[in-house]
Amino acid sequence: MSGDHIHPEPTSFLSKYVFSHDHKVIAKQFMWFGLIWLGIGGIMAMMIRWQLANPGMPVPAIGEFLFPRTNGVLDPATYNTLFTMHGTIMIFLGLTPLMIGAFGNWCIPLMIGARDMIFPLLNMLSFWTVFVGGCVGFYSLFVPMGANEAGWTSYATLSTTVGAQGLGETLWAVAVFLIGASSIMGGINYMTTIIRLRAPGMTWGKLPLTVWALFLTSVLNVLFIPVIGSAMILLFLDRAVGTSFFTPASLMQGGGGGDPILYQHLFWIFGHPEVYILILPAWGFVCDLLSFFARKPAFGYRASVGAMTAVTVLSAVVYGHHMFTTGLSPMLGESFMLLTMIISVPAEILFFNWLHTLWKGNLRLEVPMLWAIGVIFVFGLGGLTGIYLATIGTDIFLHDTYFVVGHFHLTMAASALFGTFGALTFWFPKMFGRRMNQTLGKIHFWGTIVPLTFVFCLMFAMGYAGMPRRYFDHTSAEWLADLQHMNKMATHAAFLLGAVQLVFVYNFIKSRFWGPVAEENPWEVGTLDWSMPTPVPYYNFKEIPTVHTGPHEFSHPALGEDRDWIPMTEKLPT
Amino acid sequence: MRAAVLNLPREDAATKVNATLGMVFFIGSWAMAFGAIFLSFLVLRQRVGVWPPEGIALPSFPMAAVATAVLLASSALLHLAVKREESDQPGIQPLWIAGLGLGVGFAALQGWLWMDLMGAGRLPTSGLYESLFYGLTWIHAVHVVIGLLSLVWASVGLKTGRYGSHRLSTVSNIAIFWHFVDVVWIVLFLGFFVF
Repeated sequence: MSGDHIHPEPTSFLSKYVFSHDHKVIAKQFMWFGLIWLGIGGIMAMMIRWQLANPGMPVPAIGEFLFPRTNGVLDPATYNTLFTMHGTIMIFLGLTPLMIGAFGNWCIPLMIGARDMIFPLLNMLSFWTVFVGGCVGFYSLFVPMGANEAGWTSYATLSTTVGAQGLGETLWAVAVFLIGASSIMGGINYMTTIIRLRAPGMTWGKLPLTVWALFLTSVLNVLFIPVIGSAMILLFLDRAVGTSFFTPASLMQGGGGGDPILYQHLFWIFGHPEVYILILPAWGFVCDLLSFFARKPAFGYRASVGAMTAVTVLSAVVYGHHMFTTGLSPMLGESFMLLTMIISVPAEILFFNWLHTLWKGNLRLEVPMLWAIGVIFVFGLGGLTGIYLATIGTDIFLHDTYFVVGHFHLTMAASALFGTFGALTFWFPKMFGRRMNQTLGKIHFWGTIVPLTFVFCLMFAMGYAGMPRRYFDHTSAEWLADLQHMNKMATHAAFLLGAVQLVFVYNFIKSRFWGPVAEENPWEVGTLDWSMPTPVPYYNFKEIPTVHTGPHEFSHPALGEDRDWIPMTEKLPT
Repeated sequence: MRAAVLNLPREDAATKVNATLGMVFFIGSWAMAFGAIFLSFLVLRQRVGVWPPEGIALPSFPMAAVATAVLLASSALLHLAVKREESDQPGIQPLWIAGLGLGVGFAALQGWLWMDLMGAGRLPTSGLYESLFYGLTWIHAVHVVIGLLSLVWASVGLKTGRYGSHRLSTVSNIAIFWHFVDVVWIVLFLGFFVF
């Protein structure tokens, strides 16, 4: 049960690669799983963009194959399904497994000096639960009447039997429940591991910031995923049994009559912490990567930890800003507005610390560093536009427009995605013992950040001009006709963005199998994960190391001329 | 109690702490899940108007009160069993089996409450009160079933001596879960029958 023994290495294929208890194998399982879903969600995004630019035209290349009934043209129901499943897949099956599943599993034991997660069996169950959840979600795409059409938020009554009769919505609720259960298992494991299995000398003040961020994310996972789990159970009962938790009396035949707004409360009590669940790991990666590649200590380590903790706490009490237009009491609305404004203060502190870490650093602009700087850029843009959505007066105008779409794609989607790419390119040499191609990596970075910024900034403009979310065909509205050229521009940029991802796929797969063999510590950093041989042995550490210095002791004057870093296991020379 | 734990080899004392800590986080998580359910209960209860509804058959208060007492007694027996295990006293099995038996008794009474209400024509689809009563007790009942299965599993393990050094943490974690199921039922009982 405990991770501090040396277990005998499994020998059969099943116990080694499929039902493995080894956190490193589970990390890679989560990684491939997340990458595949990222691809599926990305293709859905491309189809959504196609429809927005060319409504009524058959989707090129894949349309005939996917939608033979309509000769490749998207009908409204399919369009609804696409944006719903795009959101669900990207959040629950793409980014969560990649950042928390893969890098949580990879980083935590290696960075804190443990032989494995504290509950290896639970860890394995966590992966196979999300796998089953993913299968249920995938199957829901093929049931009669199609998958969920109610948006990733699935507000009642769109999601109850009033709005969705098919099996797809029910399966969606089941899938989200299973994926959530997986996250809770992971969260419990991560928290207990970090509390109990830190190596001697690895105090809370010496933890790499990645581990801090993953710890705080786990806290949010453990506390708030259960809330959506409960909402999914109640929704399931409404759909499968005919109870009336979320269906108002006016829409019920017979007795009953529940509250659809209750669903929104439950959803957002979970939903707002969820955006921090996704962004905190990215922040952690950025905090560490900036220090590693600027060859400087992370500026304000304690302030960064404090800021991330403050964000974690505050994230629980801001959810009402998603509901300003539901007839929320004005006093409650103003409280949520104030709290939302306050949460930007710790975010600013982190920002300040990042910029100060870069300041006068000896910058090594390697690919992971580019992604880390990219996070600062896209999160900055997204964060600034969040102010308009936190303010009730402007939010009532901007609510459910493309302004919101642009905002959350920059903050939560792009920042989390960039953080993921940073982590993937950074830990790749240790995970696979090979190096990725730097030139292709840089092409991928610039080819991503430029069109991505372009697409989502256009969305701010379109949303400000009044273009609503989730419309099937904007051109049918006369007052939106003038925006069509912007939609076309955004679609072209999005296609470029999508095409550039193929560079990453090529680079990743080619480097995985045929890349040049990497040194054991190619980035010259001192954290415990890089002190290990490649490939990392089954039990990680033969001797549990003793930690003497912090994770970011770069360019310390005591280190002398020949190297600017020191392993955490060594004492600084005096 | 502490001394007995510390008498074990050091790894085992640490394993006990690990297991308990993991269980505490799990219970914290599940408390949030039920917190969301109770929040829904409080919000929707306002919609029922007159609480409890008048003029229709309601679940039987005396039977629910008996069920509550049975579940509390079951929890108490498991608590005593874990106390014995912690202080290395023999005789945990009779207490454990008795606790399990009372747990089964609670499940039977819960089933009776449902049958009784359904017999009176009140179905889950009849109205919001019924939605709440059936929905919430179903969700609770799933946990009762999981709890009972773990209790059975542990009593087999206790008999065969399967657990070795993990015996204490297994037994105490299952008891913690059962106490949690107990607390959730008490909140439901207070919500539906008392206030």
